Formats: sequence, structure tokens, C-alpha cells
Amino acid sequence: MMLRLETRLAAVLTAVALCSLSGAALATPEVDAPAPAFTGVDTAGKTWALEDLAGQPVILEWTNHDCPYVKKHYGAGNMQTLQREATDAGYVWLSVISSAPGTQGHVSAAEADALTAERDAAPTAVLLDTEGTIGRAYGARTTPHMYVIDEAGTLVYMGGIDDRATTDPADIPAATNYVRLAMSELEAGQPISRPVTRPYGCSVKY
Amino acid sequence: MPRGIADQHRRRRPLARASHPGPARMTRRGRTRPAALLGWRADRRSASRSWHAVREISVLLALLLSLVSASALPGDAGETPDARDWAVMRGLGVSQAVATGNLRAQLIAEAGAVAPGSDLELALVFDIRPHWHTYWKNPGDSGEPPRLTWELPPGVEVGPIQWPYPSLIRVGPLANYGYAGRVAHLIPLSVTADWPVGEPIEVRAEATWLVCEAHCIPEEGQFELVLETSATAAEDADRARAKLFANARARLPSSGRIAATLARGEDPMRLGVPAAALPPEPTSIAFFADQWGLLEHAAAQPWAIDGARLLMTLTPGEAPASAAPTGLLVVEHADGTEALPVDASRTLAEASGPIAELAVDPTAGSDPGGGAPTTVEDAALGLPLALLFALLGGLVLNLMPCVFPVLAIKALALAQQSQQGLAERARHGLAYSAGVLAFFALVAILLLALRAGGAAVGWGFQLQSPSFVVLMAYLFLTLGLSLAGAITLGAGLMGIGAAGPSRGHLGAFMTGALAALVAAPCTAPFMGAALGFALAQPWPAALAVVLTLGLGMALPFLLLALSPTLARRLPRPGQWMEYLKQLLSFPMFATAAWLLWVLSVQAGPIGVGAALAGLVLLALGLWLLEASRAGQGRWQRVAQVSAGVSLAAALWLAIDLAPSAPGASDGGSGGTVGEEPRTATPAGRSGPTSTPFSAERLAAARAAGRPVFVNMTAAWCITCLVNERVALSRPTVVEAFAAGDLLYLKGDWTNRDARITDYLAGFGRSGVPIYVYYASGAEPKVLPQVLTESIVLDALER
Repeated sequence: MMLRLETRLAAVLTAVALCSLSGAALATPEVDAPAPAFTGVDTAGKTWALEDLAGQPVILEWTNHDCPYVKKHYGAGNMQTLQREATDAGYVWLSVISSAPGTQGHVSAAEADALTAERDAAPTAVLLDTEGTIGRAYGARTTPHMYVIDEAGTLVYMGGIDDRATTDPADIPAATNYVRLAMSELEAGQPISRPVTRPYGCSVKY
Repeated sequence: MPRGIADQHRRRRPLARASHPGPARMTRRGRTRPAALLGWRADRRSASRSWHAVREISVLLALLLSLVSASALPGDAGETPDARDWAVMRGLGVSQAVATGNLRAQLIAEAGAVAPGSDLELALVFDIRPHWHTYWKNPGDSGEPPRLTWELPPGVEVGPIQWPYPSLIRVGPLANYGYAGRVAHLIPLSVTADWPVGEPIEVRAEATWLVCEAHCIPEEGQFELVLETSATAAEDADRARAKLFANARARLPSSGRIAATLARGEDPMRLGVPAAALPPEPTSIAFFADQWGLLEHAAAQPWAIDGARLLMTLTPGEAPASAAPTGLLVVEHADGTEALPVDASRTLAEASGPIAELAVDPTAGSDPGGGAPTTVEDAALGLPLALLFALLGGLVLNLMPCVFPVLAIKALALAQQSQQGLAERARHGLAYSAGVLAFFALVAILLLALRAGGAAVGWGFQLQSPSFVVLMAYLFLTLGLSLAGAITLGAGLMGIGAAGPSRGHLGAFMTGALAALVAAPCTAPFMGAALGFALAQPWPAALAVVLTLGLGMALPFLLLALSPTLARRLPRPGQWMEYLKQLLSFPMFATAAWLLWVLSVQAGPIGVGAALAGLVLLALGLWLLEASRAGQGRWQRVAQVSAGVSLAAALWLAIDLAPSAPGASDGGSGGTVGEEPRTATPAGRSGPTSTPFSAERLAAARAAGRPVFVNMTAAWCITCLVNERVALSRPTVVEAFAAGDLLYLKGDWTNRDARITDYLAGFGRSGVPIYVYYASGAEPKVLPQVLTESIVLDALER
């Protein structure tokens, strides 16, 4: 009797939860599962789709140039170094800007290119995700928020760029960079030791 | 919103928008250090060896600051009361204010002076711009909690931040846990007893924090304050300060943790919390996870209260399996808001699925528990200790009145065997032990299976079924008749007790199982902690604990059987054995009588009538069987058939009892017969006037500020009865209950009652008795399971 009542209640609660979520928010992708498909346009007007990148490992970086946490990593040259390491190793590095128009970090294609030049950044491309479609598909929460996808299209890492959730660039040298760790483990054919970490930074301005 | 802050912000805004500042500029951006403060620091360096100079300077500084802030904040007079309190926070034990344009921060001690050897609280207070916020220990989807680095003289220590409960701050599809308006982070500070009286204490702290609207600004500030020391307790703080601290404490979560359930392998996850732990008639309930990764912070959290339980639906986060299943329930109700820490880590075993290694950030989102004391009784009970308790508990079981009758049979069998060889006795002892262990294993597996099925169970639960009780009474009547010599139990029956040496192994096995079976109700009071622990463990640990309990119980007999020396001391068999055997039939009849009394509570007069009829039919059937052995041909057939009919009828009467038992079939009021408050509950006829327990009654009395004493009992719980007799029914206790206008709530767990099971679970228990005293407006206090008059009176006084 009691059990049956509970089961019924649970069903109702679940239904309510699902309904209230349907219009919402963010997906939570899973590691060791195929990375969510996406299609986006970069600053040069070129279309990028995950399915076209099959056979190549991909790194997604959510960014917002005005966010203090992003500035920490670009100001110290940390992000640029990582971008060069990754692209040299054959990764496609896509920086994604999901800031909605009128919010912090929203830029035009020209502004984005100017930022790349000014900061000496080295992504393969910068995707303008003005609608936040890619961000929502990946559940991107912060800037920076990092995702590593292997050659087979499997999501192998999602989370923070490193383990020091601060805005102080002095923390960078001693930090464990989770993206670099994932890249080296992927190359060595080892399992990813930290596949999910807490992303830290400013919220993505959907 | 003070105008001064708004102005400052406007002035600072271009800075905040500056496009690409270098790293050094970035971290300094939020730091605002008025010129006066820089001067103060320079002065301080030169004067650092002289405490008196420090004090003088601090007084001067306070004056200077008051002048500066008075001129900088012309709008003070027209501010909200809170802002006025803020403006007068000066003097001893108060740091300079750090104003960044986005918030004003100040470190304030509860009082300007402290006595060596005592504690004091500090508050890091933020007054935040409207629409901006700072963060809780788990900041949610983004953000960062404030951090403090202390510089303290030796002998002075500070504890972790006591986090006030947060609010949910939605940012688009994301959500943060944080604070808006004013937030006071309390920090305990203790001073060693050797601190020389009169010598001031200098406290320095550097804080970093992130303050956000849609965008975020990292800021930092330096805080320094001086505390005087005096031999006596702290001086009275000024009223504004007292109010600040009172408000801050009102936002702290209550101490202790509520044991909850959370199925983390599922999507969505269901959080179950005993409703008795909640304030009455909540209007909104929100769950805040202590750590990132457990749940989707922005997801809706639909909830419902189903009788005795709050059920909440949560959406799992990115790493639910590796995040601590703990958090805060923030409950709003008519009289305010309460924050209740919730801990579901006892259901860890239910977590499943691939466990993502969570990178543990050493600073953010850590500090679960925050040093709060725990009321989850057995949280500290580790597996080795639980096993030891289980072994000792098992040994003690041999002395229990409910085990004794069976042991008596066993002693008899052993006496018969003293003639036999060691090997034979060893086999017998091992068979007995195997019987005990088999029973315990069976019960453990059953218990774990039921737990997995989500049924509300507890130790002693088998006695909650009237049919089971009647069948037990039948068993004991049969044993009694056999011992008395009225019938001879054949090989067809269990062969307990009277079993001869030739078929002793099965007999010994069954004796062991029987001893364990009837021991169960006695284990609850002795083994509460170990079994509570076992029930919450992964199944191998749970099985280990329960089996160790069985081993403890079997051990004395095993030793007796194995040791020739001990066995030689046993008396030789003779005519005395026949008398002893007959004598031992009386404990059997007594047990049957006791079981009938338990039944009278469970099933009322009709149930007892049916059981008595069943017992007579059973006796008739057994006698007919016995007679049929001596009879011949047709008579034997008639006797056998009649015996079969009587036994079947007896069985039918027993099994038919279940649905007719009052309270057993209606899921509502359960074992408390009817909703009418009554004084004569089954487990005690005298004593203070009691009202049947219900979570609603408890909550209503708590809300009304009335003290409450909760007693969870059951007719089959002997400890409960003894406690009522020797403690709760004493005139002094009755008087104390009446004098304190105490609401005495009694829950009867004789029959299964999910509300009581949930209440017990809230305290980490799986069985009765439990005694809980709720003083008016205070935390519930759990009394020991064995009560005396003075224990109860002491608890009431406090």
C-alpha cells in the first residue's frame, strides 16, 4: 500500500520535473559517450560541424574576453600556449562565444578577429554562438569551460581549465592543467584520470 | 543603497570596462585601499613591537575613518536601519571598512574584548550593491566563494567560515548559490588560556571574493582589528553590533544533520527526508548541494510531502556519484525560514553507474559539515568497532530472557551428550553454530532485500506481523507440550530439544536457528548502533556485522561443546533430567503467553480469541497424532485425519489474522489505534498522559514553542517496557512532564508503521526504543536507550 503510493507519487514528481525541464536549460553531456553534435559559424563565415571533423580530436573552449577568469589565462599567455600545443598535436581548437547580443563578451566577427590578433591567440577558429545553441547542447556554464573530444567523436573531458579556481595569474604555474593532462593521457592511450571537473569562471551570458 | 557607493561605482565603472588589462592590473582591480589605510599600514610597521602604540593608532584611525566616512557618505541620515547600523560599526574589535563600489566589507568582532581561554565570533560583513551578489561555499554553476587568509599571534586560532544559508540566484539558464544585500560570514575565534590579560590581540586577515551582477569582479581587501583582553567575560557589545550578530546567527543552518535518502544512480534523483524534521506547513523548500557536481543547480526541484516523508525530485549534475550527498534544505514557512543540513551519505551503497573522478578543488566547495556537530549517532562508528559490538552483543544475547528457554533445551541436550566423544560433541556444537549463523544470514539477506525494495523495515520487524506472532506461540506451545511429556515429537517435526543423540545434528541446527529467531527482539536495544550501521552499509559489510552477531551468540555453546574439560564438569544424566525437562516446559508456556499478550495489542480481543482457539486445536491435533501412534487400523486413520484437520484449522486461524488486525491494513494511522489521544497505550498502562505520535502533532507543538518528549515503543520491546516502568512512570517524571506543560508523544511500533520507521530513520535508528526530548526552541536531544529516572529528569532540566 505504502509502496504503491510512493511509486505513484514518484511518477507524478518525475513527470512534473520533466515537464518543467523540457523548455529549459542546459543539457548535461556525458563523458565516454558521443559528444553532442553541433554546427556553428566562425568569424570568417565558415561553417563547422562536429561530424565533419571525424578522425580529428577537437577541443572546445568557451570564452568571454571581459571575464576576469578568461583574462587570467589570456593575460598570462597560458591559453595561447595551450592552443598552440593542441593545434600542433593535430587538435582542432574551437573557441566558442555564447554571449547573447547586449551581454558581456558579445562581439562581432571583426571584433573577435581583432581580439585574436591582439592577444596573439591561436585557435583553429572562433565560433559565434550568439543563440547559445552549442553552449546549451554542451551545458557550458562558465568561461572558460573546456571540452576535449577524441578522434572517434567521444567526449573524454569536460570541466575547468585547471585546478586553481581563482583570477590570480600567479596560480597558473603550480596548477594542474586538466586539458593538458587529458591530451597527454589521450596520446599515451591511457584512460583519462580526471574526466569531469568543476568548471570555474564567469557564467556564460546566454 | 548608500549614495556614496553608487557614486563610487560610477567613478569606477570605466575601470571595470577597461578592455584588456594585464594580469597585475586585473587582480588589483578590486582592491581599494584608501590613502588613510596605506598610511596606517606604514605606521603599523614601525610600531609593530608596541601593542600600546597599536591601540593608540587604532583609536586615532577609528576617529579618522569616522570623519572620512561621514564626509564620504552624506546620505547616511536617510539610509535604511541596516545601513545606519553599518555606519556606527567602529571602535575596538572592528576593522576598517573596505569599499569597492560593488560592496563594502568589514571585519567585526562580537565584542571589543575577550577573556583568555574563551571564544568569540568574528563576522566578515558584506553590504552588496543591489542586483549584485557574492557566493556560498558551493557557488553553483559559476562564481567563487570568499576566501580568508589569517595572520594571527600564536595562541589565537580561528575556525572555518560558518556559512549562512544561501539563496538561489538565476542567471539565464544557469544558477548560482549566493547572497544579495547584506551577508555576515561568522568565524569562530579562540584565545588560549595562557594569553596574558591586558595584552591586546591583533587580528589580521586578507580576504578575496568575487562579486557579480551579470558580470563578475574579483576583489580583495585587508582587514585588521584589535581585541582587548580582560579576565572577565566580554563586555557588552553595543546594540548595533549585537543586532548584527543576532541577525547573522539567525541565518545559520541548524546544528546536527538529518539523515536522508538519495538514490544517486537514478535520473532524476529522489531525495527523501523525514517530514518530522521539517517545520510545519512549509510554503517553499529548496535543496542546496554542499558540493559541485551532485545536482543540476538550475533545475526545478518539485517536492511533495507524503505523510511522513518529504520527497524531492532533483536533476543529477555532472558528477553525482563522486560528490558528497549532503546539502541544506532551506524551508520557508509562515513564521520564517529555516535551513536544515541534510546528509544522505548513509545510502552511499545505492549509488551506481560509472564514477567520474572528481577533481577536488581544495578550497572551493569543500568544508562539508563546517565542523557542525552531528546527531547521526553512528556516523562515527567504523566497521571494526561495529564488528566488535556485534560480537559482544551476540554474547550478551545468551543471557536474554527471550533466548533463555531455547538455551535451556540446548543445555539439556549437551548434558545428555557429555557421555559422547569429542568428535560427536564438536559436530553437535558446529551444527548449532551453523543453525544460528544460517538464521542470521537469512534475516540479513531478507533485510537487505527488503531495503533494496525500499520497504520500511527495522529490526524486530518480524514480530510486527500478527500471523508470525501466533505461529511463534504455536511453536512454543508445541515445545512446551513436548518437554512436559504430553507428546513426543517425531522426526517429522523439528526434533528440537528432545532430539536424541542419533538425530542430534539436525536438532542442534534447528535449536540454533530457533535461538537466533527468538533473540531478534532482544537485539534491538543492545545492537541499535551496530544494526543501524549495518543497515546503511553496502551489503558485504552489513552481512559481516549481522553474521558476527550470530557468531557471538553461538560462541559459548561451541566452546562448551568443544572443550572436554568444560563438558566434563557438566552433570551426569539421570532421573533429574526428566524433571528438569518437565520444568523447562514452563518457560515455553510463558513465552507463548507473552506472545499472546503481544498479539492482544496487535489484533485486539478477536485476534486473541482466534489465537486461543488455534492453540486448543493445535494441542488437540498434536494429542491426536500422539494417540494415533498407539492406535490400530481404522482408528489410527481417523485420528490422523482429525489431527490433520485440527492442525490445518489452527494454521488457518493464524494466517487469517493478518488482515483483521486493526491498523495493519490502513496505511494511515498505523499502529496507533485510531486518532483519539488516549492514555493507555499498549506498552505501559500508567505514567504520564500521552498522545499518539504523529509528525504533524510534533511539528505543531514545536511551532507553538511547546516542549515535546517523544517515546517510540512496541509491545514486543522489553527494553521499552522496562524503561517505562523504572523511569517514565515514576511520580517525579510524571510531575516534571506536567510541570513543564510537556507534550508527551508516544509512537507504537508494535505493528508496522511507516511514519515511525521514517522518524527512527531520521535519527539513524532502525529499531525501538528511542526517546527524544525537544526543549522549546532547541535542538532535539536523544536520550539513551536504557533510561533511569535521573537521566530523564536531567534531560528535562537542561
